[in-house]
Amino acid sequence: MMRKTHQWILAAFILAALVFYPKIFGIYYTNVFVTFAIFALFATSFNLLLGYTGLLSFGHAMFFGTGAYGTALALEHIEGMPLIAALLAGLLAAALLALILCPIMVRVSGTAFAMLHLAFGQLMYVLALKLRGITGGEDGVGGFPIPPLKIAGLVSIDMTDPSNFYYFAITVLGLSIIILWFFTKTPFGSIMVAVRDNAKRVDYLGFKVPQTKAVIYIVAGAFAGVAGSIYALFQNLIAADDGFNVIVSFAPISMTIVGGIGSFFGPLMGSAIFGMIGEMTSRYTERVELVMGVILILVILYAPYGFMGFISFVRKKLAKAAA
Amino acid sequence: MDPVTAMYVAQGIHGLAYGMVLFLVASGLTLIFGMMGILNLAHASFFMLSAYFSYTVLQLTGNFWLALLIAPAATAVLGVMMERFLLTKIHAFGHIGELILTIGVSLVILDGVKVFWGTVNLPLRPPEILQGMVNLGGLEYPAYRLFVIGLALCVLIFLAIILYKTRLGMVVRAAVSDADMVNALGINVPLVFMLVFGVGTWMAGIAGVAIAPILTVFPGLADQMGLDAFIVVVVGGFGSLTGAFIVSIVCGLLNSYGVQFISSLAPVLMFVFMAIVLGIKPMGLFGERE
Repeated sequence: MMRKTHQWILAAFILAALVFYPKIFGIYYTNVFVTFAIFALFATSFNLLLGYTGLLSFGHAMFFGTGAYGTALALEHIEGMPLIAALLAGLLAAALLALILCPIMVRVSGTAFAMLHLAFGQLMYVLALKLRGITGGEDGVGGFPIPPLKIAGLVSIDMTDPSNFYYFAITVLGLSIIILWFFTKTPFGSIMVAVRDNAKRVDYLGFKVPQTKAVIYIVAGAFAGVAGSIYALFQNLIAADDGFNVIVSFAPISMTIVGGIGSFFGPLMGSAIFGMIGEMTSRYTERVELVMGVILILVILYAPYGFMGFISFVRKKLAKAAA
Repeated sequence: MDPVTAMYVAQGIHGLAYGMVLFLVASGLTLIFGMMGILNLAHASFFMLSAYFSYTVLQLTGNFWLALLIAPAATAVLGVMMERFLLTKIHAFGHIGELILTIGVSLVILDGVKVFWGTVNLPLRPPEILQGMVNLGGLEYPAYRLFVIGLALCVLIFLAIILYKTRLGMVVRAAVSDADMVNALGINVPLVFMLVFGVGTWMAGIAGVAIAPILTVFPGLADQMGLDAFIVVVVGGFGSLTGAFIVSIVCGLLNSYGVQFISSLAPVLMFVFMAIVLGIKPMGLFGERE
């Protein structure tokens, strides 16, 4: 009972902090926070594959990029496209890509799964660069109109205002993360973990392993698409290097590993840590990749379960000391 | 030779040269994977590092042959150090940990070369003897590319003799199929692992020096070669040298003829080839396991 009350108080506190954040910290840090939130959802959707199902993907950026291009192209080519519909276009584009790829992907696991994703991710990158007529090549798609958010045809909120956009982005990204949280708590979520631990036994229990993987794969892809879609709206630009580059695929991997594999909130912590490190290092040095590489090596050597693993380790120690 | 045939032959030799260099990189990758189950994502970074080393050696001494000797050796030492001091430490955490570690190393190398050598394309001149053209029955062809094919062939033959004709090669092949069993027979498998890792990075290093005068040296070199090498390993089948060889040559030819006929979509050809092969055989052409 006490725990429940605590949780409600914590939730209310976080909500209040999110509402007043732009007023307190100003425009610059509001934008930093939106970037963090985008990558938090991206990394959380990625963790659905790595942490829950045990599938390491080196090409998760292709869903991010597809979602971003889906939204950007829909807004550029369709006049009077509502905001929510554009968002859905991004989600559906990414889900469609996952649907097309999943017949191949559910058949493999381990290193082959990782490498196939690297290859297909790179294929998407090359296509985005080469199909200039559609994607604009290196320049990408930019300067498309950002429509206002219309609620029931009555209220119209201008989305070009950064703090309005902040509330919109936080709502969408937060809801997505909450949906994913409940998704992992369903019986289906348990099957997901079971597939990771022992796929053969899950098969013997009568659950269909390939189909389970396919559903997870499509969900993970679709929510990465949502993250990409918000990213495109936020930047009002999406280029091949921001959407499909290998570095974009490595970002959620690093975040999940640093934050803590096998914990739902690990990727969230990871993207917060990376956001802060990026913010600090880019102020002093241009060598962000070098810093990221060193952090990855150190974390995997000395704290293989990441930040969340470290916290639970400290908790256990404290509990032992108290007992 | 009429011009059209000459063009086809020239493109063919181009493709062959690239395929051979690709095989030098991919063979190390597939050997390391076959023995230790480690997919070394930093492999192509070592390839690039060696190209940079050779540039520096060439700047200091002006001798290409010295660069060909020193740069791959230095690279191999670094590779062995990575295996000794980093990879063996995290063996318990499983393959995902090893993949992440090698990503970390590749990021450090990528940014490291930018710190030391900058981001510009550094040109490298081949030695005097190899700068001219060679007449191949009416076709003028750059001598240096022929030299690259010859060099790769020498390394290949050397590798094949060691692997299939010596006791050491027998141990390595046995360790590829069952490392635990070989260890139980009283052979120092960690030492063999280290040796294979060293030889693998050494071959990548030779490829790096060989390709430097053709493509020039720049930070994107690792991405370009690395991706092709991974495709070769995946399509040829993890751990299969024969597969790696055949697919390397096919990829080299696909690249050079692809550029000629459908230049804008040439980079996609390799992926299409890979998708077709993996759609039919998920383990790759000669692979026996994932």
